[in-house]
Amino acid sequence: MSASAAAPDPTTTPDPAGRPTGPTPARADPETIDATAVRAALRRCQEIVERHAGYLTRLDRVLGDGDHGDNLVIGFRAVAALLEELPRETLPGELLQAVGHRLVAAVGGASGPLYGTAFLEAGVRADDRAVLDGPAIAAMLTGAADGLARRGRCTVGDKTILDTLAPAAAELSAALETGVPIGPAWGGAVRAAAAGARSTRSLVARRGLALRLGERSVGHLDPGAMSCLLLLRALGGG
Amino acid sequence: MSAETDRAGKRAREPGPHLAERDALQARVDSLERERRRAFEDAQHEADALFAQYQLSQLVASGGTVAELAATVALELVRLAGAAGGVLFLGEAGGPGLDQVAAVGRAPAEPVPTAVADLDAGRAWARRLPGGRAVVLSETQPTVALVVWPDGGASLDDDGLRVALLARHELAVAFASARLREALEHERHELGAIVDGAMDLILQVDAEGLVVRLNPAGERVLGTTATLAIGRPCADVLGCEIAGGHESAACPLSQVLATGVPIAYRETAVRGANGAPVRVAGGYAATPSSGAGARATAILRDISAVKALDELREGFVATVSHELRTPLALIRGYAETLLHLELEPDEQHRYLERIDEASGRLAALVDQVLDVTHLQADPLILDRAPTTFASIVARLRGELDVAGGAERLVADLPADLPPVEVDVVRVGQVLSNLVGNARKYAPDGSPIVVGAAVDGPWLAVTVDDAGVGIPEEERGLVTEPFHRAWNVRESRIPGTGLGLFICRRLVEAHGGRLDVMDRPDGRPGTRVRFTLPLAEAKPVTPEPVTPEPIRD
Repeated sequence: MSASAAAPDPTTTPDPAGRPTGPTPARADPETIDATAVRAALRRCQEIVERHAGYLTRLDRVLGDGDHGDNLVIGFRAVAALLEELPRETLPGELLQAVGHRLVAAVGGASGPLYGTAFLEAGVRADDRAVLDGPAIAAMLTGAADGLARRGRCTVGDKTILDTLAPAAAELSAALETGVPIGPAWGGAVRAAAAGARSTRSLVARRGLALRLGERSVGHLDPGAMSCLLLLRALGGG
Repeated sequence: MSAETDRAGKRAREPGPHLAERDALQARVDSLERERRRAFEDAQHEADALFAQYQLSQLVASGGTVAELAATVALELVRLAGAAGGVLFLGEAGGPGLDQVAAVGRAPAEPVPTAVADLDAGRAWARRLPGGRAVVLSETQPTVALVVWPDGGASLDDDGLRVALLARHELAVAFASARLREALEHERHELGAIVDGAMDLILQVDAEGLVVRLNPAGERVLGTTATLAIGRPCADVLGCEIAGGHESAACPLSQVLATGVPIAYRETAVRGANGAPVRVAGGYAATPSSGAGARATAILRDISAVKALDELREGFVATVSHELRTPLALIRGYAETLLHLELEPDEQHRYLERIDEASGRLAALVDQVLDVTHLQADPLILDRAPTTFASIVARLRGELDVAGGAERLVADLPADLPPVEVDVVRVGQVLSNLVGNARKYAPDGSPIVVGAAVDGPWLAVTVDDAGVGIPEEERGLVTEPFHRAWNVRESRIPGTGLGLFICRRLVEAHGGRLDVMDRPDGRPGTRVRFTLPLAEAKPVTPEPVTPEPIRD
């Protein structure tokens, strides 16, 4: 799942923005996105959430009940603890499903069940693969977006996490279908996610607590959309 | 590649003699796998419903007004039902009908009624909409019903509607609470308006004796603001001790806080806006709650006017009884002498003159007392008309010509004085009174100078005499009823202490003011200055009065 895993041939398909896609560990080919890489990606999620918790909470004070950053910190600390508990041989799919369940249980508010669902669905799509390839990752991200849309009963444009996640999944699938390697394809997905997250500023909230605000929600970024962008970045390598 | 084919491949490679048994086992494994997937999907499905319920509860718990709650709940329920649009009806408080409180989404095929007579009417309306459905969320107060309709050809999401129904108790409670909150808010608003609009000082303190509320009337009396007063000790805000109201140990607010027994009436004093004590009286009561939530309230009325009236009455009794007794005693004395003694005719005549003089004094006193009574009436009715001040002076001179003393009156008036708009009789009374005082207290033959000058929109009139003068400390008091300066009290010149009060009231009734001061030339005597309103700058028909000479 780590974009850095796709780093072996950056010269043929450079990141269109010219940005590094993250620190480059010694992973030689995409076939090695295994449980260890997934664990590393999840730890990066925890780090990024800890770093930006204050920002997310500030965003949430406007539209929600002002606890989004704190909730995610609690959730990903619980995930980190879970990773220690799970045996080394745990498959990526099992790992992600367990993470999903843990997030649902640990995170207060709506973001727990929503992110939990996304990880759970991604884990289900991973099935019992030991190593994740491009098509599998695309299916996992699409599954995550679909599951989140179903659980949250939301569509793109409702000013939610989905405004970030759905374009990212669509972009990833489209890029992989045209033969782009997973690394640059993930980079493109993150850029699509960023555009989607920014688009929430001009949207009227139609889900969650921000629903109360109606037109007054316009002009504010959705905290969930922003946290989703951070998580997608972290999953890809930072 | 699916997990099943993968596993099937592995099994195909395994050798085994009992093929039938293996197939049976395989069928069993496949069935278990299908069951597992179904169970997973069911669990997901249930989780979806739970999450929907959770989100609905979040919105419902977030409070707000009935309208806000209705709008958000309607949006959420329409979404849950997968509907194209929906309308929420809420039972009217205390009535059978339901009002439409929120309409969201696409408009339905039929116009949305603003109200329906009852739940059945709502159901009937829903049936007229293609695919429309009425969901009764609460049948008792408050009645809540949702009507939703799908997009053309589509159908409603039964699962979502099930979630809505699962949350119906919560919704009913939320609407009842929102109603109650609105009612409480309304009541609080009304009570606040009563407290704020009250003419009495209303002050509330907490268990620590710190001010938690002060109404605008209290702000006026104490010369502070609620913002400044709140959080400060009530002794600081009211200044009862400084104003001589009571010792701190005898604080009625502390007393009611400690005992819980209300005080129906108590008089005290507080420090007024200008720092001077203000006499107040009223009741004190503590709220029923005890401990940290305890509150005590004082409702106090400024009784300084009542106290002043008391003092006025005392002064009236003292003066009038003295002023009545003296001539009365004289009259009785002379009358008895006349009755019982055989007097010479010229002596009889002298006695009759004294009786006439004393009865004249009595008559004047009665006139003044009647005037004072009349002046207490508010507002004083004036018969105003444009006139010249010179004509008023001329009229007074005419009266003095008859009664004697006209020669002492010096009118020092500029020839071009603009007209004033006054009640001629009342202003004549003021001038006559002031000139009368000057004649009474100034040495015989000394001049009494009446001057006038324009001062903004006013005509400032001055009456100067060469009398005993009014001691500086008495000047504010001599225009109060029944007050006479100590130097004239000692002079034994008779007087009621009403004249200057009557003058001041009459001038004030015209909007002007009356002051007592030293003569500007530094000579002994008194200057009384009063202002009269100039007539508005409109042409005035000059009165047929000969202009007063500049110096008489």
